[in-house]
Amino acid sequence: MLEVKNIVKKYGTNTAVNNLSFTVDDGEIFGLLGENGAGKTTTFRIIMGLLEPNSGNVLLNHEKIDYSKTDKIGFVTEERSLLTKLSVQEQIEFYATLKGMEKQEIDKRLDQWLAHFEITGYKNRKIKELSKGNQQKIQFISAVIHEPKLLILDEPFTGLDPINVKLMKEAIIDLKNKGCSIIFSSHQMEYIEDFCEKLVILVKGKPILEGNLKDIKESYAKKNILIKGDIDTDEIKKIKGVISVGLEKGEYVVKIENMDVASKVFAKIKNNNIIKYDVEEPSLNEIFIESVGGIHE
Amino acid sequence: MNKKFWYLTKLSLNKKIKTKWFYITNIILAIAIIVLVNISSIIEFFGGDFDSQTNVVVVDNTNSAFEIFLNTINSYDNEDITVTKSTESIDTLKENLEDEDLLVVINSDSVEYLKAEVISENAIDALTYQIISQALNTTKTTVGMISENIDPSVLANISQNITIDRVILNEEDSTDENMNLVMSSIFPTLILPFFMLIIFLVQMVGGEICEEKTTRSMEIIISNVSPKTHLLSKILASNVFVIVQSLLLILYCLIAFLISGSISSASSIIDIGGIMNMLNASGVVDKLWIIIPITLIMILLSFVAYSLVAGILASMTVNIEDFNQLQTPIMLITLAGYYLSVMAAMFDGSIFIRIISYVPFLSVFISPTLFVLGQITVVDMLISVIVLILFVWILLKSGLKVYKVGILNYSSGNVWKKFASAFKRSE
Repeated sequence: MLEVKNIVKKYGTNTAVNNLSFTVDDGEIFGLLGENGAGKTTTFRIIMGLLEPNSGNVLLNHEKIDYSKTDKIGFVTEERSLLTKLSVQEQIEFYATLKGMEKQEIDKRLDQWLAHFEITGYKNRKIKELSKGNQQKIQFISAVIHEPKLLILDEPFTGLDPINVKLMKEAIIDLKNKGCSIIFSSHQMEYIEDFCEKLVILVKGKPILEGNLKDIKESYAKKNILIKGDIDTDEIKKIKGVISVGLEKGEYVVKIENMDVASKVFAKIKNNNIIKYDVEEPSLNEIFIESVGGIHE
Repeated sequence: MNKKFWYLTKLSLNKKIKTKWFYITNIILAIAIIVLVNISSIIEFFGGDFDSQTNVVVVDNTNSAFEIFLNTINSYDNEDITVTKSTESIDTLKENLEDEDLLVVINSDSVEYLKAEVISENAIDALTYQIISQALNTTKTTVGMISENIDPSVLANISQNITIDRVILNEEDSTDENMNLVMSSIFPTLILPFFMLIIFLVQMVGGEICEEKTTRSMEIIISNVSPKTHLLSKILASNVFVIVQSLLLILYCLIAFLISGSISSASSIIDIGGIMNMLNASGVVDKLWIIIPITLIMILLSFVAYSLVAGILASMTVNIEDFNQLQTPIMLITLAGYYLSVMAAMFDGSIFIRIISYVPFLSVFISPTLFVLGQITVVDMLISVIVLILFVWILLKSGLKVYKVGILNYSSGNVWKKFASAFKRSE
């Protein structure tokens, strides 16, 4: 279990992380969201023990993280962190040995992982000869080959096609099922929604929204009504509490300020020819944009 | 952690040694050194003559100058010049003149006693010309004095070299002024490989750290081993590499001299015996038991100091261009040390050069040279060693803190500003 307790990190007068706390249980995937420069990398570096926080602490299984614990942590950085002149085998051996593994064990597990990602033939190829997607797979393998207790994934799906995203998702779920605590960061909210039970959104180092994803969505006042059928959009827009009305994939999407507005919209259209009326939670993307108040990638 | 340190060191060392370029470079170096030392034998093997004989044919129109000229040339003890007298006509001799021949025509002159003409097919080397002209001057002086009826015993006394009894009161000082000349020719040759190894060292440590940083693998490495372990492993690997390379260079030299001794009867391009005699006469050999251990300590400490600075500076960089910019001052300091060492004899033991000999980075070049020249004492050398130890200690203490801050700094600002900022934050 990872416990991040009230960490604060300052660079001069700039506060990179401001009183951040969260807990990731064993076998749980936790989402750490924020726009660029929100403090995610600093948080990861503090968790990895690369940076000392000004205050607060980070515990892994109730113990402070230092170099005697980092063998239990895996880290996929946002940018590729591979020595491109090395071969796949040399690269994995290098990182895995730094994690305290023995050569025989590394070779055995490497073969299994290469087979999982269907890149067995690339074992002796130089990293620089691989495509971006395959480099990303190698980076992922290097982070998980030692079967970490804590895995930090910063944009792990970068450069992967849908088939390989599926393979990597399976691997992540498998690790989760084995009890690994996973911190996940991505700009693609659908991945967060797919994976994370809990999350925190950082803005300028400060957590502005945190908790269980389901609860966050439920407690979020704004909802979306999906309507399929014949409606007068101008009439609906006049209803107090309706934010906008749009058309997506043949369905009207009516954004409303709160649940009370849903019944007013229904009252307005109930006599029309309607084949679908569904009130749903807003997407994480909407919540993120609303929370951050800016544009993200 | 200890295991990881040795793993990183071994990996870093293997990256340098287990490469085809290391083998190719060393094969080229070995061949170059062996060829250079045995160049005269090689030239002789292909029918050439490295130390070609110069045949001086003298036409003496005075009938009295030849014997004096011959005796003067013989007194120089130069085996490369042979002198013969000829009675043939100058035109015939000119026609038959070969490349290595020199025709000297000596004529009487009513005012200047003697005049001479030196004829050759091509230009001759400066040393041979100097010997010939000096011998002609001596001949002229002798002929002049004879013609003025100076007593032969007086003439002999005048011609004899002055007897100098050289006394130097400072016992530590060299008893041979020629030592300055020797040092200015031998030391640059000895120091040059060391100078090049330092350049190698700086580029290896910096380049490797820079590569790990630019590929972002540094974050993964540093999350598994401390920055201190990481830097020290690089320093150890690079230092072991340059020591191995130094030993290999010494081995190539030994092989070259062994080959030279076994295959050649001709005079070698490097007159080891002559150099050793000169060093022995000047008292340097008596100082070797002090010079060698202290210099070795200084070399090792300087290697560590240079590699520490290279590593610390490399931690500030985000690309190889930044590192090139940062390593320029180190290169300039090294170059200054090399030239100061070469020119050490010129400073004649001034306070300036004595103080410079204490400065880390420079001391390893200057201190041993000054000691051999007798311009500083063993106490000064020991002061240089102590200053160097303190410097390395300060680098380890403060530099490692800067390294820890700099190693994860990927901002693209001015590298020197980043260095200053990292130093500030490390405190």
